[in-house]
Amino acid sequence: MPSVILGESGKSDFLMGNEAIARGALEAGVSVATGYPGTPSSEIIDTLLEIAGDFGIYVEWSVNEKVALEIALAASFCWARSLCAMKHVGLNVAHDALVNACYIGARGGFVVVSADDPGAWSSQNEQDNRYIAMQAYMPVFEPSDPQEAKDMIVYAYDFSERLNTPVMLRTVTRVSHATGRVVFGDIVKPERRVYFEKRPDLLIYDSAGARRNRIALIKRFEKVQEAVNNVPFNKMMLNDGSVGVIASGVAYRYVMEALKVLEMKDKVSILKIGTPYPPPRDAIVRFLDAVDSVMVVEEVEPILETLVKSIAYEEDIDVEIRGRSILPRAGELTPRIVLEALSSFLKIDNPLDVDALNKAWNYSNSLPPPRPPTLCPGCPHRASFYSISTVAKRLDRNPKLYGLNQLYGEKTETILPGDIGCYGLAYLPPFKAIDTIICMGAGLGFANGLARLVKQPIIVSVGDSTFLHATIPALINAVYNNSRIVLVVLDNDVTAMTGEQPHPGSSISQEGKRPVKIEDVARGCGVEMVRVVNPGNFEETQKALVDALKHDGPSVIVLRRPCELLRVRERLRKGETSSPYMVLAEKCTGCMICVNQFGCPAIVKAGNKVMIDSSICTGCGDCAGVCVPQAIVRGG
Amino acid sequence: MKVDIVIAGVGGQGTMLAARVLGRAACRAGINAIGAELLGLSQRGGSVVSHVRIGDDTYSPVIMEGAADVLLGFEPSEAVRRLPYIAKNGTIIINTNPYIPPSVSMGFAKYPDLNQIFKVLEEHGRLLTLDASRLAAEAGNPITLNSVMLGALAATGKLPFNVEILEESLAMSVAKPLVEPNVKALRLGYNECLNLIAKDK
Repeated sequence: MPSVILGESGKSDFLMGNEAIARGALEAGVSVATGYPGTPSSEIIDTLLEIAGDFGIYVEWSVNEKVALEIALAASFCWARSLCAMKHVGLNVAHDALVNACYIGARGGFVVVSADDPGAWSSQNEQDNRYIAMQAYMPVFEPSDPQEAKDMIVYAYDFSERLNTPVMLRTVTRVSHATGRVVFGDIVKPERRVYFEKRPDLLIYDSAGARRNRIALIKRFEKVQEAVNNVPFNKMMLNDGSVGVIASGVAYRYVMEALKVLEMKDKVSILKIGTPYPPPRDAIVRFLDAVDSVMVVEEVEPILETLVKSIAYEEDIDVEIRGRSILPRAGELTPRIVLEALSSFLKIDNPLDVDALNKAWNYSNSLPPPRPPTLCPGCPHRASFYSISTVAKRLDRNPKLYGLNQLYGEKTETILPGDIGCYGLAYLPPFKAIDTIICMGAGLGFANGLARLVKQPIIVSVGDSTFLHATIPALINAVYNNSRIVLVVLDNDVTAMTGEQPHPGSSISQEGKRPVKIEDVARGCGVEMVRVVNPGNFEETQKALVDALKHDGPSVIVLRRPCELLRVRERLRKGETSSPYMVLAEKCTGCMICVNQFGCPAIVKAGNKVMIDSSICTGCGDCAGVCVPQAIVRGG
Repeated sequence: MKVDIVIAGVGGQGTMLAARVLGRAACRAGINAIGAELLGLSQRGGSVVSHVRIGDDTYSPVIMEGAADVLLGFEPSEAVRRLPYIAKNGTIIINTNPYIPPSVSMGFAKYPDLNQIFKVLEEHGRLLTLDASRLAAEAGNPITLNSVMLGALAATGKLPFNVEILEESLAMSVAKPLVEPNVKALRLGYNECLNLIAKDK
């Protein structure tokens, strides 16, 4: 099956926004593409990585966003066109490098894709990265759909080179994961002379460099402010009425949909914004002059709204400007929210049958059973958390059991900091074995603080990818302070949550890579107690945990078994079938430990006993290890 | 003309592929198509939904509440979850086989009675029910469920292109060994739904 993004020039196909961005990168002749996986950005690098070899492009999943951005910066400095893609919170990690990248400027076109997640569908917050761009004097392009995303990225590379500036392409979930018909343009093979030129004036940031290049940055930005006035993705549609709407990105699409339903498309003037920062001042002035009242619609923060208000003030234009005073401050926009806000702004009745919709929502919210995300059948994390919660519960009830009563007294409460990844799901029942999910690497950082303050056992859980991404400095800190923390690294060989991307520890990495072993890193950081165990071996895992709890200082337990999805896929590829487990009804005592404490989706209640759903059982066999009466056996 | 379709299901049932096949078919027929994947944490048995909008005069990738012409439910209770999107007098096609989540097997939640689900769905539109899981198995592979459902959708006559174009689009969107069972599944779904509609009349 050829990649969907490789259609012929002039033809069209149905692409997801992120695929359209990947195609745009090909059409722009990008040489280097880097990133770190994160929803809703991952498909950009996934798609490019699939085809990189055929186009002479260097594509990598980097260890974290900061390194990814620094690689892309180096490429741009050497005159290559580079792309760096990440989710919104990823840019926090890369922020340090981003600010000075903008001081340095771009030589080869340099586009940073920030995929924001309004509504926090799969994120820890709803931050609007246009603020980060503003702080760095970085122009922002914001597409409204996949076709525009592709066209914009091609344009953005020329813009970046012409104005010598890195550019942010800001998408949101409803653009990155929107789909649409995309007409392809020509693919350009990257054929440029790439070399490093020694330029201390641009690359050395002592105080003099910082002061000098800040002046250059501001001058460059003045040119950018002029240039955005001619960007074709800013479009004005003036109508006779005195009312207008300014909308950026996908919000423009919601506005047009709402105006269609309201039958107001011909009565309201529209200014569609493709460059929310800096905004196209000339067009905004003309628009504000043409209307009496205007509503600004944009995703997440009132950034464009504030900029429009300041332009109106500076130009002394008497116009009413509304936006977030009508729209909700939290959560993502929807066509309905925009429709209702616009009908209120335009003072017309809401055409929706709200009673009928409320009734439908009532059914929707009450009738279907909840489907919270769960660890997959066969997931190694399930076995890991079974052991972690078993040991923690025993310890809490009686620290003396492990000879830890001197430290923790007669009773204690183990603290279980967690991190970002599939394993975060262990905060839910049946395990409830994660107490914190804050940001990448924060589990161990937080634990460093706890270890200095409270006298309770601490077991931190972190995934392999997150360990390499942001946990190593916190581990060094724990060693330096000899903090008594057990760090469990759940090593499933991939960045699983975002779609099984390789990371620098993965054995599945492409040829030419040299995977880094987590236990080697831990030892290298000075951790004295390091153990590697297969979590399917409950006895050994629990013994390792107990030994680690007794160890005076930081300890690292690597629980290593590949993500079950990898194994399932490998089996499919080889044409093998799984051999599911089954329950011997005569032996099952109905204790329900496998259901209530282990919680594999393949184990279902059947009367007062259990059975295994062979259609989803992957045959990992972990449940056999938790079954006390040994009623679970491999099927025939 | 336009048709707005909401495809509801559980992560792993292939809603996303079904949406892609529809969109690619529209492209082949020279008709505009847009949509949105509302993925959430789809890989982990979660509730998923795809929106596909075929035709002109469409702007938002997400369908307006109360505006979908067709609700295609790969799972009965998931169709109920997406009820707010269906238009008055819209068409609702569902696979009658429940996919029981762990919340139910662990006893935290209840799966509603199927008859109750049918009744609620009937209140909101014209309901067509089919045992798509059985037809998928008949086609040779349970993972062809999404193709059965696409076939059923095509049988309603609501798509602005013929079922052959849908087949071509399907054939170019799945791995080679899976083309045959998927096309077979699509035809089974198509015929089954044609019969349902004939009986309905």
